Amino acid sequence: MKAFDIALKDMTRSFRSFFAVVFMFGVPLMVTGMFYLMFGNIAQNGGFDLPRTAVVIANLDEGGPEFQVNPKNIPGGRAAKTMGDLVVNILQSDEMADLIEVRFAADAVSARAAVDSQQAQVALIIPPDFSEQFADIEKGKAVIEFYQDPTLTIGPAIMRSILERFMDGMSGVKIAVNVFLDDASTEDYAQTGILVQQYLDESLAQSDDVEAELLDVRTPVSAKQSQAEEKQNILLTIIGPIMGGMLVFYAFYTGTSVAQSILKEEEERTLPRLFTTPTSQATILTGKLLSVFLTVLVQVTVLLLAAHLMFGIQWGDLGAVALAAVGIILTASSFGVFVNSFLKDTKQGGVVFGGVLTVTGMMGMIKIFAMNSAIAKTMGDTVSLLVPQGWAIRGLMQAMQGEPFGAVLFTVLIALAWSAAFFIVGVLRFNRRYV
Amino acid sequence: MENLPAIEVLSLHKAFGENRAVQGVSFEVGQGEIFSLLGPNGAGKTTTISMLSCLLRPDDGDARIMGHSIRSDGNGVKSALGVVPQDIALYEDLTARENLSFWGKMYGLRGSALKKRVDEVLDIIGLRERANERVGKYSGGMKRRVNIGVALLHKPKVIYMDEPTVGIDPQSRRNILDSVVALKDQGMTVLYTTHYMEEAQELSDQIGIMDHGQMIANGTHDELVKLVGGQTRIDLTVNAEPQRILGAWQSVEGVEQASVEDEKISLLVADSNLVLPHLFEAATRQSMRITSVDIREPNLEAVFLHLTGRALRD
Repeated sequence: MKAFDIALKDMTRSFRSFFAVVFMFGVPLMVTGMFYLMFGNIAQNGGFDLPRTAVVIANLDEGGPEFQVNPKNIPGGRAAKTMGDLVVNILQSDEMADLIEVRFAADAVSARAAVDSQQAQVALIIPPDFSEQFADIEKGKAVIEFYQDPTLTIGPAIMRSILERFMDGMSGVKIAVNVFLDDASTEDYAQTGILVQQYLDESLAQSDDVEAELLDVRTPVSAKQSQAEEKQNILLTIIGPIMGGMLVFYAFYTGTSVAQSILKEEEERTLPRLFTTPTSQATILTGKLLSVFLTVLVQVTVLLLAAHLMFGIQWGDLGAVALAAVGIILTASSFGVFVNSFLKDTKQGGVVFGGVLTVTGMMGMIKIFAMNSAIAKTMGDTVSLLVPQGWAIRGLMQAMQGEPFGAVLFTVLIALAWSAAFFIVGVLRFNRRYV
Repeated sequence: MENLPAIEVLSLHKAFGENRAVQGVSFEVGQGEIFSLLGPNGAGKTTTISMLSCLLRPDDGDARIMGHSIRSDGNGVKSALGVVPQDIALYEDLTARENLSFWGKMYGLRGSALKKRVDEVLDIIGLRERANERVGKYSGGMKRRVNIGVALLHKPKVIYMDEPTVGIDPQSRRNILDSVVALKDQGMTVLYTTHYMEEAQELSDQIGIMDHGQMIANGTHDELVKLVGGQTRIDLTVNAEPQRILGAWQSVEGVEQASVEDEKISLLVADSNLVLPHLFEAATRQSMRITSVDIREPNLEAVFLHLTGRALRD
């Protein structure tokens, strides 16, 4: 009971501090809000307009099979004699006009030069043998060169998403062609074109919204959504992880800050006074640790709810989110106890806040800011998992992305292993100091 | 239980590395008494109090508070005593009422009993009207009063007050000294540490003088004063050569010792009231005028000087 009294007192003090409350709740929501405003035109009917991505295309495809694609099945009703034409026509369709601005280059060098000189964000170089490779069922490998400004993420990511979607579809067609030709024992290129047409009939062109069909927008809501809602979801795929990152970053900040109250009470001389009361030292330390845990619990819960209400972020299945939240709370609390157990006094706290928390927090969040670049994402995944924040973020992201409960549980268990280690070291050190 | 000494200290020792902070300190305080530990900074008073509060474990020796050993019954000791630390140990971002409620809970008070006691203590320390203000907004004196209030919450039998008047204004100091006397009147035993001899002199039933970790004298004020013979010292200056009057004053009845130093004549006398008129007569007879008189009654300062060769505030 006394442990709860101590925890309650500490929480009262924490939540009474304007500075602490701003950092606990205000800053993470404010930073996310800034991103929200940056990426979303929320002032206009809640709609969402991404800046158009400048794409320069060098379509060098010399053709291969004679396609028999019905123009009605090609966006804009344009003709497509090669696979390269098909790609270009899709990117030039009216539906894509809001997202990308297409220009053409005569050759690969000038296309790349346009990106290098920042006249375009992405260059697509369709090689001369693109159609031929596509048509070569046995060995062919149709590859489009994707050349992007490395400093940009969102525009190129959208382009990449469109192309990947398209090429995935085409890979399916190719498999179908392979199976068909095996059965038909013929090498008639025209058959390939027919199959391509069938693919388009059944997927792309029959859709009323080619853009939506091509963009792989994940949504946790299974119900059919309006166009406005789908656009809003694009925003949320950007804002959700950022909010998640902010939540974890500031949860760790809070954990460390509240755990510092142990040192602060020593300096204020209230800790020695507590030791003169008939309250065991174990109870006092338990109360202090409980206050850290409960404060972070309140913070994480409030931020999850506030972000959902303010930005419409869908955190995913309730059970998975609760599990991820437990991982965050325990890791952040124990990390705070661990770090503070190495400090002599609160003056050293500045170094910790400015150094350890910032560095480890940024390492943990690399995953989020690198997620639109494949190479950076791979590297970010590895680096972020070197710190506890990375595991905390990973659990939350998995919940958001609707990954199986078991996957979230696995991540949270690893986070809890970090917590246990931090907690044991921290408590042992504090015990040695006071008990 | 009634005949037990409230505090019984048995040869306490404590060292911090090479520094022997407390060396064999022993004393006894009866129930309902005020015992002052007097000594300069660094004498070992706070270390002694810390051991008696179970904050520090003695290297050797023991003490019993209302019969509870500080070595084997820490909880019993802590329940029996209230501690007023030298530094203000309060949560400045909580109100006085919240502070008292929290500390009351730490002493095991709950519910309506806690609420009632908090109100009583607020009345005792005279802060009922401002109980809902944050302590951080209080003056130094008000904080000191809350600091004392915390120690009274569980109605302890014994209360330690470690230099509670350091750094406060005269009015708050007066309030605190009055409250110490009021606590004694309520039957509490008070162990009071100070380096102000006037406080020890005014408050105490018994006084222990500490220096360099040792108890160098212990007794009532009168008993301690007798250590320096109980003589009053009179310092005088005259408008002529001091040696001219020295012989005449030495022969005055009641003057036990006379000396001249830096044009000032110092006399040790048994009773200054009886001697002074004769000194003035002798000076008049020799056509001399006394230009200044400084009478120094025997006090704890003199005792400390007598015992250590140093002034108390050195």
